[in-house]
Amino acid sequence: MTEPVTTTKTPAPVAPEAVVRIDGLSKSFDGRLVLDDVRLEVGRGRIVSVIGQSGGGKTTLMRCVNLLERPDKGTVEVAGEVVHQGGRTACRDLARLRRTVGMVFQRFHLFPHLTAVENVVLAQRKAGIPEQEALERAVALLRRVKVAHRALAHPDQLSGGEQQRVAIARALALKPEVLLFDEPTSSLDPEATREVLSVMRELAADGMTMLLVTHELPFAREVADHVVFVDGGRIVEEGRPEDVLDSPAQARTREFLASYGTAS
Amino acid sequence: MKDIASGLFQVPWSDYRPDLLDALWRTVSYTAVSFVGAVALGLAVALLRLSRAWPARAVAAVYTEVFKNVPLLAIIFLTYFGLASAGLRLDVFTAGCLSLVVFYAAYLSEIFRSAISGVHAGQTEAGEALGLGRTGIFSHIVLPQALRQALPGTNTMLVDLLKSTSLLVTVSAAELMSEGRLITSATFRALEVYLVISAIYFALCYPLSQLLLLLERKVRAGVPLSPWRRRRMRAARALLASDLVVDADRKEATV
Repeated sequence: MTEPVTTTKTPAPVAPEAVVRIDGLSKSFDGRLVLDDVRLEVGRGRIVSVIGQSGGGKTTLMRCVNLLERPDKGTVEVAGEVVHQGGRTACRDLARLRRTVGMVFQRFHLFPHLTAVENVVLAQRKAGIPEQEALERAVALLRRVKVAHRALAHPDQLSGGEQQRVAIARALALKPEVLLFDEPTSSLDPEATREVLSVMRELAADGMTMLLVTHELPFAREVADHVVFVDGGRIVEEGRPEDVLDSPAQARTREFLASYGTAS
Repeated sequence: MKDIASGLFQVPWSDYRPDLLDALWRTVSYTAVSFVGAVALGLAVALLRLSRAWPARAVAAVYTEVFKNVPLLAIIFLTYFGLASAGLRLDVFTAGCLSLVVFYAAYLSEIFRSAISGVHAGQTEAGEALGLGRTGIFSHIVLPQALRQALPGTNTMLVDLLKSTSLLVTVSAAELMSEGRLITSATFRALEVYLVISAIYFALCYPLSQLLLLLERKVRAGVPLSPWRRRRMRAARALLASDLVVDADRKEATV
């Protein structure tokens, strides 16, 4: 592999407090290096968008934050606590870590045997929140993502956009400090994509910290504070959205953006 | 027609009513106890077959294959006569239930295994991402979905088990078939007696299978069956009253 070139044309302002800090992270699957010496920081209230081709390591990078994947090397720090270091999990309470980090999946992964409202209640009850309080919070969150009128429906009775909005409510239920979005609109039609992006836009406006893997480059440009282009398991280029997306410094970034028809 | 009926039915059935009711109760008891045992053992074997440890998988696989490929009647004889000759004398109820449990657990374990492994891996991941532990994920996410998948096969097994209790006639288990044999030897009216015994089995099995079909339909439709889930849905409905009215209005406007 060639020496990585990490270019920051205009350095993003350093956030006073990092909710997620990743340093020197590497991960292989069956001897194939998927992430190689990656460094990433998400400051409180910031939105960091990771872009890149499929298979480039974006999703693996995100899954390393809540340790759905265990990195082989490097450090992962969440909310000031080192959770994984040098190939070993340092976090003693994995459940607490995962309650600090909400995650929204590409394919929603709602629980099909439960109604929308029960999907949002389940983790709260397991975290010891009393029934009535959990229900009230679930209803409030479903209202926030504008799907409360469908709260008693099962996932298979909901449209794709509604399912993803319920999934966002579910991820918010434990009041996480950071939300991870793994290509949240990739399985949706344009109408549903608009609905979901509108909810995410509101979360961004409310100051939610987010790490977002997306192919929605116009959305990344609009809401992200920082864009990271990952290719071949390395960060090729990162910086402010207007820098990375409109006038990228690296040839590989330009090539990638050209394939999306967004390079200026 | 009346003559044919009176010619066919000559056994004084009212005299046998208490014995038949007792036999019916025994058939139901054999079925209920054996089914509960077979479900518990079948689930345990299914979990062993899905275990990461190969010795556990091997033990479970051998168990399943052995009991799936040996006739139930042979298992009944082995449990009742075989074990007795080896010094372990079980009463007929225990031996009968044990035979049915080990036989049906083998089949149920296959149904449960396929249902559990059929739950999408993303479901477990979603549970992990929400901070649920292994037990929480299994009991609240995987098992309820697997049971839904396993319900049709399990229901078929229950009806089959009820009918198979009739094989216990071979060890005089005092269930319906044994009672039929006793009445036959007293009256020499084999056709009449076994027609009535068959009718009783039908009267048990048909409503049971229809009831189970109804249950399958309700579960598939997501109807909350447990009291605590019904209570939760009532509470949610109360909180959501205004939102649901909006939805109803929206639907009406579309119509």
